[in-house]
Amino acid sequence: MIPCKPTGSKLKIIFLSFFVFSVFQVFAQGDVAAGKAIFNSKCASCHQVLKDGTGPALAGVESRHNWSDHNELLKWVNNPAAYMANDSYTQGLKTKFGSMMTGFADVTLTDIGNVVAYINDAATPKTPTGGSGGGEPQKTTNNALIFGIISLILGIIALILMQVNSNLKKMSDDAEGIVRPEPVPFYRNKIYIALLAIIFFIVGGYLVAKGAIGLGRQKDYQPEQPIFYSHKVHAGINQISCLYCHGGAWDSKHAAIPSVNVCMNCHKAINEYTKGPKLYRENGDEVDGTAEIAKLYKAAGFDPNNPNAWDPSKAQPIEWTKIHNLPDHVYFNHSQHIRAGKVQCQSCHGEITAMDEVKQVADLSMGWCINCHRQTKVDFNYTDSTGNKFYSIYERFHNDIKAGKMDSVTVEHIGGLECQKCHY
Amino acid sequence: MKRKVTISQVVTIAFVAVVMLSCNRVRRSPGRAYMPDMTYSRAYETYYTSTEQLKQKGINYDGTPVSGTIARGDMLFIYPFKNDSVGYAQSGTVHNPLVVDSINMTEAERLYLVNCGICHGPKLDGNGPLWKGGDGPYPVAPKNLMGDDMKVLPEGTMFHSVTYGKGQMGSYASQLNVKQRWEVIAYIKKMQNGAAAKPATVTTDSTATK
Repeated sequence: MIPCKPTGSKLKIIFLSFFVFSVFQVFAQGDVAAGKAIFNSKCASCHQVLKDGTGPALAGVESRHNWSDHNELLKWVNNPAAYMANDSYTQGLKTKFGSMMTGFADVTLTDIGNVVAYINDAATPKTPTGGSGGGEPQKTTNNALIFGIISLILGIIALILMQVNSNLKKMSDDAEGIVRPEPVPFYRNKIYIALLAIIFFIVGGYLVAKGAIGLGRQKDYQPEQPIFYSHKVHAGINQISCLYCHGGAWDSKHAAIPSVNVCMNCHKAINEYTKGPKLYRENGDEVDGTAEIAKLYKAAGFDPNNPNAWDPSKAQPIEWTKIHNLPDHVYFNHSQHIRAGKVQCQSCHGEITAMDEVKQVADLSMGWCINCHRQTKVDFNYTDSTGNKFYSIYERFHNDIKAGKMDSVTVEHIGGLECQKCHY
Repeated sequence: MKRKVTISQVVTIAFVAVVMLSCNRVRRSPGRAYMPDMTYSRAYETYYTSTEQLKQKGINYDGTPVSGTIARGDMLFIYPFKNDSVGYAQSGTVHNPLVVDSINMTEAERLYLVNCGICHGPKLDGNGPLWKGGDGPYPVAPKNLMGDDMKVLPEGTMFHSVTYGKGQMGSYASQLNVKQRWEVIAYIKKMQNGAAAKPATVTTDSTATK
C-alpha cells in the first residue's frame, strides 16, 4: 500500500500546471479551420503553404527570422512598409520576390495564431488513416486466392496420404505374408479417372458457360484513350459537374462527348498540370499532364504562346475510344434516366470521380438492367413542383398506395420489364 | 513417388502464377461479340465517324443544321451583333426577350451551377472550385459577378460575352442554347439584385456536383 497522499499545496500545483499547460496548448494551436478561412481569403492569392509563389512558402514560418513571436509577425502583416524600414530580413525578401507584401491592417493577433496553426497543420504530411476504403476490394480477391491455394494444398496432401496409406498397407501385407494382386497405379484406377472426369466436366462446363455468357460483354473494358484525360482530376478534384461536358445526358439519348471547344473553355488558360496529384496509367507509367494538355492544343490548333491567333473553327475532333456500347437492338436513353428517373451517373458508371482511366463498371447485360428496374423505386410524387406530372395517370397505384395495399412503386410496375420498352 | 509430388507442386505454382497474372491484367480490348454487325452499328452513329472521314468515302454530309433552324425547346431570337468590339459596345441595347417572371429559376440555377459555377462560384463571388482562392488549377481569378461593375453590366452585354466568350472565358453557345443563356443571365441578375441571401449549395439535380 502506498501511504502517501498528496498534500493540498501539491495538488494545487499539479492542477495549476495542468491548467497553464492546457491554456498554453490552446494558445499555441489556434483554430485550424478559422486559420484556413483567413488564409484563403487574405494570403492565398500570393502565398502557398509548401511552394514559393508570388510570395514565399509559408511552411515553417515560425522557424524563420523572429516570426516565432506572433507580435512581430502581426506588426509585419499589419504594416509591411513600416516594418521593413529597419529590418534587413524582410528587405531581403522583397529583393528575392520582387514585390512587397500587401498590408492587412485588419488582421489581429488571434488571426495570426489561427493562420500559423493552419499552416503548421497543412505543412505536416498526413499519414493515411488505417487501411480502409481502397484496400477492401483487394482483400476479397486475396481471400479467394488464399482459399484456392489452401484447397489445392489440401487436395495434394490428401493424394499423398492416400498413396502413403496404400504403401503402408502393402508393407503390412508383405510382413504378414498375405499375397494380394498388384495394386493398380492411381492413373489407371477407375475411381480416380471417374472422379477426375466428373471434376473436369463440372469445371469445364462452368468455364464454357461463363465464357459464352461473357462473350460480347465488356465489363472492365478500359481502353487507352488518345489523350490521358483523368476524370479523377476533372470531376473529382476540381468538381466539374458531369453535365458540364456531357450535357447531352440531360437533354438527349446520348450523354455526348464534348467537342474540343468545351475542353478549351478552361484549357485556354490552364496550360500546365502542376497542382494535382501525380498521374499514372494502369500499367504504372507516370503521365506528364502538361504533355497531355499539349495533345489537346494540337487537336484544337491552339498555340499557347500566341493564344489570340486561335481559330476554333480549325479544330479537329479527338477520336476518343467508346467504352460503353449497347447493341443496336437495345434502346437506352440517358435523359430518361438522369432527368426523369433522377438516377445518379455513378449508379451505372461507378466511381467515375475516382478513375484516372475510365473503365466500364457495369456489365450492361439485360439481367443487370432488369434487376435495377425491379429494385428502383419511382418518385411517384406528382403534386408539388418537384414532382413529375406524368405519374398522375397511374390512378390505381396512387389509390393502392393510399389504401396501404402497396408501399412503393418500382420501375417494374410502370412497365420497366416490358420487352418493347427497350427492344423495338 | 517423391518425383510425382514435385511435379504436382510445380504445376500448382504455375497455375497460381497464371491466376495471379490474369487478375492484374487491365482489359484493353472490348473482346469478341456474337454478332458484330448488331453490336457495332452498320449505320453511322454519333461519334463513330467524323465528317472528314465521311467525305473521304464520298459522303457529303455534315451534321450542321440548315441555317435558321431552331432546336426544339429553344426560342426564336436572333442576336444582331457580331463578335467584335463594335458589337460588344452596342450589345447593351439588347434586352432579355424572356418574361423574367415566367422563367423557372430552379432550372436557371441548375444551368448556372453546371456551366458557370465551376469558375464564377456557386455564390457568384468569382471563387469557384477551379479557382478556389488561388489553390485551384485556374491561373487567373474569374470575375466576381457580385462586384459593382458586374451589377451594372447590361444583360445584353452579358449575352454577348456568354455567346462569343470574353477574355479567358470561352463561348458557351455550344453548351447553352439561346433560351438557356437568357435564363442564366436572368438568374445572375436576380442574384445580383439582392436574392443573394439564399445559400447556393442546393443542387437541384442529382448530377450537378460530385
